[in-house]
This record gives sequence, structure tokens and C-alpha cells, in this order.
Amino acid sequence: MARLTINGAPVEIDAPADTPLLIVIREHLGLTGSKYGCGAAMCGSCTVHVDGAATYACITTLGDVEGAEIVTIEGLSPGGDHPLQRAWIAEQAPQCGYCQSGQIMRAAALLNENPNPSRDEIVDAMSGNLCRCGTYARIVRAIQRATQEA
Amino acid sequence: MAANTTLTVNRRRFLTSAAGFAFVVGAAGLRPSATVAGSVADAEAHLNIWVSIGADNLIRIVYPATDLGQGSSTALPMILAEELDADWTQVRVDQLDVDDRRYGNPKFGMVLYTAGSSAVQGYYMPLRLAGAQARRTLIRAAAAHWSAPEERLRTEPNVVVDPESGRRLTYGQIAGLTELAAVPIPEASESLLKSRSEFRLIGADLPRIDIPAKTRGAFEYGADVRVPDMIYATVVRAPVEGETPVTVMDRDTLAIPRVLGTVMLPDGVAILAETQEAALFGKSALSVEWTDTAASRAHNSDQDLMDYTSEAEDLAKDGAIWRETGDALAAVNAAPRRVERLYLSDYAYHAQFEPMGAVASVTENGQRAEVWIASQTQSWSLRTVTETLGIPADRVRMHMTPMGGSFGRRTELMQPYLRDAVLASKAAGRPVKVLWTREDDVKFGAFRPAAAQKMIAGLTADGALSGWRHRVAAPSVIAYFNPLRWAQVAPQDVITMRGAESKFYDLGDMRAEHVITERRARLAPWRGIGAAYTSFASEAFMDELAEEAGADPVAFRMALLNENARGRWLIERALEMAEWERPRSETALGLAFAGYGDSMAAGVAEISLDRESGVIAVKRFWATVDAGLIISPNNALAQIEGGVVYGVSSALKERITIKDGEVEQSNFFDYEILRIDETPEIEVDIANVDGPPTSIGEVSTPIVAPAIANAFFALTGRRLRHMPFTPDRVLEALA
Repeated sequence: MARLTINGAPVEIDAPADTPLLIVIREHLGLTGSKYGCGAAMCGSCTVHVDGAATYACITTLGDVEGAEIVTIEGLSPGGDHPLQRAWIAEQAPQCGYCQSGQIMRAAALLNENPNPSRDEIVDAMSGNLCRCGTYARIVRAIQRATQEA
Repeated sequence: MAANTTLTVNRRRFLTSAAGFAFVVGAAGLRPSATVAGSVADAEAHLNIWVSIGADNLIRIVYPATDLGQGSSTALPMILAEELDADWTQVRVDQLDVDDRRYGNPKFGMVLYTAGSSAVQGYYMPLRLAGAQARRTLIRAAAAHWSAPEERLRTEPNVVVDPESGRRLTYGQIAGLTELAAVPIPEASESLLKSRSEFRLIGADLPRIDIPAKTRGAFEYGADVRVPDMIYATVVRAPVEGETPVTVMDRDTLAIPRVLGTVMLPDGVAILAETQEAALFGKSALSVEWTDTAASRAHNSDQDLMDYTSEAEDLAKDGAIWRETGDALAAVNAAPRRVERLYLSDYAYHAQFEPMGAVASVTENGQRAEVWIASQTQSWSLRTVTETLGIPADRVRMHMTPMGGSFGRRTELMQPYLRDAVLASKAAGRPVKVLWTREDDVKFGAFRPAAAQKMIAGLTADGALSGWRHRVAAPSVIAYFNPLRWAQVAPQDVITMRGAESKFYDLGDMRAEHVITERRARLAPWRGIGAAYTSFASEAFMDELAEEAGADPVAFRMALLNENARGRWLIERALEMAEWERPRSETALGLAFAGYGDSMAAGVAEISLDRESGVIAVKRFWATVDAGLIISPNNALAQIEGGVVYGVSSALKERITIKDGEVEQSNFFDYEILRIDETPEIEVDIANVDGPPTSIGEVSTPIVAPAIANAFFALTGRRLRHMPFTPDRVLEALA
């Protein structure tokens, strides 16, 4: 049994230590907002916060996060109304939406560190997250909007 | 019934499809229809097959397409709501989960099939007529209730109003009136439709209904489906198409806790497990010996392109005529100058973000099935299940889930991911979720075909075009991904050939022909279908012809657009946005003009080049689009922006290679797609024009590669004729 904290709640997980954290989150805990995109830390659809840091859940194992605090898209804000989530709606950023949980979690980690990033800093921070629908311009605008309205 | 004198093709089609409506109303009054999936409450009045209204004033509209991210789950209901004069906040959308051809896509012979950027275009008139008919029915019921003349009554959102007396009835109240079942149902006629100036939803930029849940991780995709007692399956697939498992060495797999067993599939082996991680660990531990006799083992993508090139160049080999006007061959032969160029393009992968997968629950010893499937077609998903199990359609319950992207990937007649879930569930006797890994998704992808294109044109002494011949040497996509369709349309392959018709130019004597080559990879429609490469060839060639004619590339095109004022406007506007005439020092511009179906687009790319590495950067891209009436302007912009990004990614980076029958790439580290830091600034202008909606989702992809190639010439004086324009090819062009 591995113990960790998910979105503020302590949980015990009955899975091998080398189970990907993403599978623990999605299939054991039923929090399906985090997505599998590549399993190789190449796309960022699985991005969650581990002790506050944006992390690829697909290559992180359950053993790696024993005792850690995990925040997923479902736990980003109590009412789903984090400034980034509001901005994502205002900019109508998602198309298929599959990558967007990871995009928002990556952006949230950025804003935690740097509440007022420049455009270049935004692009640099977000360059680890891919979007096949090509919503990149709206992602940048949404982050900029969130920094202004936060 | 109200007589109607203006029969049209669209209207007849609607009336045919409304046969069920007549039955529902005529035989038993207004009552719930069993053909509409989803939660249908008893209190709802079904005004026709598309729309019902509850006493709670909620309006339920059937969504007949599927949503892969394009947003038609908002746009289509909005069209009906417009003519119904619905209060949009009271509209709920029901996904159509059945293969009921009354709801079929008119652009695809009434098959339930969401592809080709056709949903809005195909459903625009049927949904308007359905909404208008329902509105008129509500007005008649209110008129009967009030004993007021029908002509006097008006509607406001979800309310019928009698302007004279000030009386009002909400649509929900009317749904509960006894008069409703008795009123004569008006024919769905174009005379009932609003004029465009009366639209208040269409064109009003309502937010998409799916986006809030997509920002909260609460939107359920196929991969997210969980059903009681469900187990997991991974699949080890034959590395080469056509091979089958001979020996399965599964001792190590079966030793893994929570692995339940293995199941032989036609072209692979499924590993069943209680948990997803056990299914993945079990897959890694499995060893399979495959047959080694498949003809596909001889396939190598480099050789494919060489062979296709030979066939494109061999003018003695006739192609299937795709479009022909006049006598292109005679015109070219009569011209004093002949220009020929060859353009190549590699296989390309969809890279939709949600990998293939499905959930199936097969019961009664294979005689009944329930499936959850993210696909672009109710019709072919259902057929996959009925064909796999040999059972009739009424023993299958389907749930169509939204998709994490698709771009044409989930359209095939037989869907192996769904088939595998069905077979695995039948063997296990429990519901099974099959999920492909990204590696599976790449290795067993179905690709945009490789193509070799020979362009031949004549030029007169004063530099005018005299004959245009476009030979596309590529396999038939339809013959592979939908052989039933191929039997109907062969040798006309719209998936392979779209774009080569070049119908927006007046080319005079022209011939576009398909040299149908041997298929040597799994193939599928891909964003832009044929236009993703045929427009690269035709628009890069257009620039080369202009150069040969000593003409300006803009002027050369404009001379071919005398009859197409809307096309000329698109080019002029794109040039204006790009400040075409402004000199640049480190960058250069290139123009392209192409179309998709009935939509047209012009694009200007601004590129820079690192001459040491050979890396092209697209700094900015301006796109202008004419797609007729725009239903959701902001979403149309999003689709056009996304299509440009897809096009830049494809033009610069994307390439599938095949060696000895095996796909060489496996994930995003060796099949790279465009990242945010490589994305150009994109500016879009959409023409404000009359005419019905055409298509949006793919129109901006085909213009990108030729605009980049033409900008590269402007910057370097060299031509790029092989897509993608990878650094090695760029350096070769510069050498």
C-alpha cells in the first residue's frame, strides 16, 4: 500500500510501485481529467502537480510519489473556476480538449512561480506541452488574460 | 397539411427523412420516439425526429454527428435552435447513438459519418427546416388554444406571443397543451424559414457547449469510460501488416499478478488484466512468434516513392480522370514552351491525441453487445460490431463518445480497435476496455498516402497558361479504408485526389488524373485529405510557372481568376494583411491559393531560415477564407488557426517511414509535431459573403505547405519539392 495525498485527501493505493502515477490517478482513483498522450514525457497531457511542481504523471511511478502531495486538474480550484480555467473559457481555447488539462496545470505551475510572465516566458514554460488541434495562440492569450484578471 | 409549392432537393430529402415524424404524430399523436437515444422523459413533446420540448421548457435537440474537437456539437443544434426561436440557455443536446439513416449526413449518402468538414454544410438545411417546422407547430397549437389567427402570432425565445392581446405561452407550456396533438403538422418548407437578417444565434458567437467541462477535466472521452466489472486489455499487434501469430509465449505474462489471460486476435494477441498496469506489464512480458510470409515485408517507403515517381513520370500510363476540361494534352503540345515539375510527399500520421481504443461488453455468448466508441461514424462502428459477432443491429447498443482529436483517423469501415474490444470481451465474458499506447497508435497507424505528382503545363509566347496536367501517383485510400465505398465510386477517389481539380481557377484546358499505385501501407483520410498534398504540388507549380513566364506570382494567379471575384478578394486581402509589398531583410513571403470542397482560402507565409542547420521557421501566417455563411465565427477562427498549425507541422516536420514493412517511428520523439515555440503568429480574415455554409475544418491546411515553399524560393531562389521540408532536404536544396 502506497500512501499519498490527492487533491488534499489522503489515499492508499494497492498497486505495484512501478505503476505509472497517471494510471493510479485515472484508473485507481477515477480522476480521468489527466490524460494519457504518449507515456514518454513528450506531450504533457498528463501534467499534474507533485509537491507543487508540474510533473509528467506518465513517467512518474507510484513509488516516486510515496508521501507526496498530488494536485490534478480536478483539484486545481474548488469550483473549477481558477483564473486560468475562466480565461480558458473566455478565450475558447480548447478544441478537442484532450491536452488541455495538462496545459492548464502547466500554466498554473508557471503562474505560481511567476505571476506576471512575459510572452516569451509563457511560450518557454509551455513548450513541453503539445496540442495537436493547434490551440497554442489561444493558450498564450488565456494565460495572459489570467494574469491580468487574477 | 399546408400545401407547399417550392419543392427543392433539400426539402424532399428532409421530407423523406421525416417519415418517422409522420408516423409518430399521425399514428399516436405526439409521444416520445424510441429511435432517439439518450434520456427521453415521458413528458416531452416530440415535434419531429430532431427536437423535443419538455414541460420544464427544456429543448432537446439531436446531434447527429460526432465531435472530434471541431465544435459541431454546438453549431448543429444552434442551427435548429435558430429557426425554432429557441432560448439557447434552455437547449440540451443529445448525442445520436444509433445508426438511424433518417439522421444521416446528406453529404455522405445519409450514412452517419462525420468527416470531410461536411457536418454544418450537410445538415444546415435539414436542421433549419426541422426547427422551422417545430416552431410553426408550436404557433399553431397556441393559436388553437387561444382561438387566435395563426398568422398574427409571433415568437420570442421559447415563447409564443400574441401581440394583439399580449398573451404569452412558453414552449414548455405549449408542450403540455392538449391542442398540440391535434394541430395539423406543417410541411417542412423553405417558406417557413427566417431570412438571414432575422438570425440571432447564427453568427452570434455563442460559446461552445463542451468547453467548460474541458477546462475542469470533467469531459468524458472514450478513454475515460468506466463500466462496472470492467477489465483492461492491451494488444500486441503483428509488426507487419498481414502477419498472424504463430506461437504465443505468455508464461511470463500470466505470472504477473492480476493478469487474467491472453486472447488470440486475427492479427494480434490481447492481454487481459484486472488493472491497466497489469495489462501493460503483461504486454511487455509477452513474446509472440509471427508468420513471416506477408507481402508487406518487402515494403520500404523510400522505394514506394521511387516507384510512384516512375509511374507519375511514365506518361504512357493512363490515369483515372479526376477532372478534365478541354484537351490539356493538345494544348500543352501546341504551346511553344512546356514546363514539367515533380513534387513528392511522404506518409503522414494523424497524431490525434487520444489513442485508439474502445470499451465493449459482449454478453449472451456473443449474441448481444454494448459498446462505447470514440469514432467519426455511428454507421461503421455499428457495422464493425455486427460483422465481428455476426449478429443483427438490434442486438447492439452503442454509445458514441467524443474524441480527443481524430483528423480522419476513426472513419474506417472495419475498426480494429473496436473489433478487438468486442472479441476480447466475448472471450472474457466481462466488459473490456482496449487502449492503444502511443507506440501502438504510431506503429499501427493508418496514414496519409505517400504521393508523387507530375505537373505539366504549356506556356504561350507571351507567358499565358496553355494546358495544365496534374498527375497524382498514389494509392487509393478509399479502396483500403472502405472497400464497400470503393465498389460504388471506383476509380474516383476523393480522398486521394481532392484538390487536384483546381476548380477555383479558370485553367482552360486541364486534366487531373489519378495514377492508382499499389498500396504499401495502411491508409486513412487525413486532415485536408488529398488537398494536403495536391495543393502543395499545384500551388508550388503555379509559382514556378509564373517564374518561367517571367510573371509576378500574384499577377499570374489573378489572370486565372477572372471569373472568380471572391477568390481574387481572398488573395488581395491576404496580401494586404501581410503587407506583401513591404521589403523584408531576414524573412520572405510566399503566397498560396487553394480550396477544400466548396470553400476557398488564400495564405501568405513569412519564413526565416537558419542556413547552417537548414531549419525553416514560419514566423507569421495570414489566412483568408471564404466558407459561405459562418455559423460560429469564433469557432471558425479557431478551426482555421488550428488548420494552419497542422499544415505548418506537416510541411516542416512530419514523416512516417517504413522499412521492411514496419513503421520506423514510435512516439512523439521520432514523429515530432509542431510545438508552441515553433508556431507562427496567425492572423485570419473570413469573407462576409452570401450563400450557404460550406466547410471550415480543413480549408486552411492545404495552403500552408505551398506558401512556405514559395516563401523559401523568395528567400533563397531555390525550390522545395519534397514535403516535409526537413533540414536535410533544405540543405540539399541550398547546396
